[in-house]
Amino acid sequence: MGKQIFNNIKLGIFILASLAFLILLFYMIGKNRNFFGSNFTLKSRFENVQGLKIGNNVRYAGIDIGSVNKIEVLNDTVLEVEIIIENKMKKIIRNNSIVSIGTDGLVGNKVVNITSTKLNAPLVKEDDILSSRRPIDTDDLLRTFSKTNNDIYLIAKNLKKTTFDFNQSNILWKLLNDNSIVENIHLSLSNLHSASIEINNIVKNANSIMDHIKSGNGSIGTILYDTAFTLSIKNTLNNVNNISNSAIKLSDEAKETIKNINYELMKGDGAFNKLLKDSITGVTITSSIKNIENGTRAFNLNMEALKHSFLFRGYFKKSSKKN
Amino acid sequence: MLGQESALRKRNSITKIHRKSMNNSILLKSFFAEVGSLSKFSGKFLSRFFIPPYEINELFKQCYVIGYKSLPLVGLTGFIMGLVLTMQLRPFMIDYGVESQLPAIVGIAIIREIGPVITSLIFAGKIGSSIGAELGSMKVTEQIDAMEVSGTNPFKYLVVSRVMAATLMLPVLAILSDAISLYGSYLGVNIKGDTNFNFFWIQVFDSLEFRDVLPAFIKTYFFGFAVGIIGCYKGYYSSKGTEGVGKSANSAVVVSSIMIFILDLLAVQITELLGFN
Repeated sequence: MGKQIFNNIKLGIFILASLAFLILLFYMIGKNRNFFGSNFTLKSRFENVQGLKIGNNVRYAGIDIGSVNKIEVLNDTVLEVEIIIENKMKKIIRNNSIVSIGTDGLVGNKVVNITSTKLNAPLVKEDDILSSRRPIDTDDLLRTFSKTNNDIYLIAKNLKKTTFDFNQSNILWKLLNDNSIVENIHLSLSNLHSASIEINNIVKNANSIMDHIKSGNGSIGTILYDTAFTLSIKNTLNNVNNISNSAIKLSDEAKETIKNINYELMKGDGAFNKLLKDSITGVTITSSIKNIENGTRAFNLNMEALKHSFLFRGYFKKSSKKN
Repeated sequence: MLGQESALRKRNSITKIHRKSMNNSILLKSFFAEVGSLSKFSGKFLSRFFIPPYEINELFKQCYVIGYKSLPLVGLTGFIMGLVLTMQLRPFMIDYGVESQLPAIVGIAIIREIGPVITSLIFAGKIGSSIGAELGSMKVTEQIDAMEVSGTNPFKYLVVSRVMAATLMLPVLAILSDAISLYGSYLGVNIKGDTNFNFFWIQVFDSLEFRDVLPAFIKTYFFGFAVGIIGCYKGYYSSKGTEGVGKSANSAVVVSSIMIFILDLLAVQITELLGFN
């Protein structure tokens, strides 16, 4: 009897151990599928769910926060995915978050990713419909891979040809084997180094000059940064402006005067008008000039006679000696 | 002379074919008879199961013998199975660059299929033969007849308790075998790699779903019932003395093993139809 009780105890432990593992298994699966604890649902709509299944995980910033509960076909182009999410995420997910379908690794299960945007928005509520992003189509991906592969093939082909040409070229090999080129390159680099040092010094000097100018020293510094000089230039320019105005005024006055003279010459009663326009006056003047010429000739004769006069001979001799 | 020989040869060949077809027909008939008899035996079990008195003490005793005493063998095979499966899969997983998925794949394989089926086959080998031999020897030594004479219902006492114990204990053994196999797999992963214990179990549980566990768990009840009922049937109808006992034990193991595979095939089809796959 005692042995039977002992056997029954062992049997009980054996069954309980099995039950414990079964319960643990169910609990862990249930926990992963959010069957325990408080949850809320969110929805999102897609054109193509890319093989997403009920029970696939939902991730927010890479953390599993829920699972897919239902996938419903609304019409020929829209599928609604209902997801269950842990209640604590209600305080974190905003209703402008984006839902997308991804893959867990390269060959893993499909997952629903919720990505937050940086824009501020109210927190999600039960049964909110979040906007979705078109999932990456594996066919598109493979097509791109295929194109890239072709490009790589062409590049490799060209590279192969280039390498072949390179190997065939004696000049290139001669160039590569010529040690003097290396020395020249070394020398050039050394010169380049010296030049760069020189350039550096020049730049330093230029900086120093610029600093000098910026501090207001020297002619350029004075021109650029001395406010008193600027004021003086301003005044000078004002004066130049005034002079210019005066010159314009003077020019206008001269113009007016010339206009008046012209008018007087053409139309007035003055001596000039008569001189130019009156024919009688012209004749008179011509006659007067002739008289003057005659008078001058007579005067010259008189003067010549005077030179030979004994009274004035001495004076003329003295004046010619002085000259 | 030659004509007589050829006629004799022809007659002999016809006799051989006839005998062969006769044998085939006898085999077919005996197969159907066996199936019918087994079905009748199962029906008798179901009808007796609900009628009191219930042999609770005998049930517990059989549970202890069938379940608890099978644990070391089932546990050892389960442990080796998990370990070997992991070690065999590991190089290929590394080749494909999915070594991290090893716990998940081994977990699904063990929980869904390998655990229940291998445990059931080991169980059939151990329990099917033991029930067949035990009841067979009781039959040939007329102990069963003696029980009937003494007023004890031998069917209820011997068959119902054993079939019930086998039906109830195989799922328990399968669950423990799964756990031990997964532990073996954990050790297998850690022989050449380095995985944290918690991380291994999280990966296993993450990959599992109810649709993986429930059909596998439910089908073990049917496997247990098949092993129990076939073992009891073969033993209960044993004949031809001690030779018959060995034959009963052997055929109990063979038939119950085949039945396990047939039921497994049916289970896959049913879970497929129900959308669990």
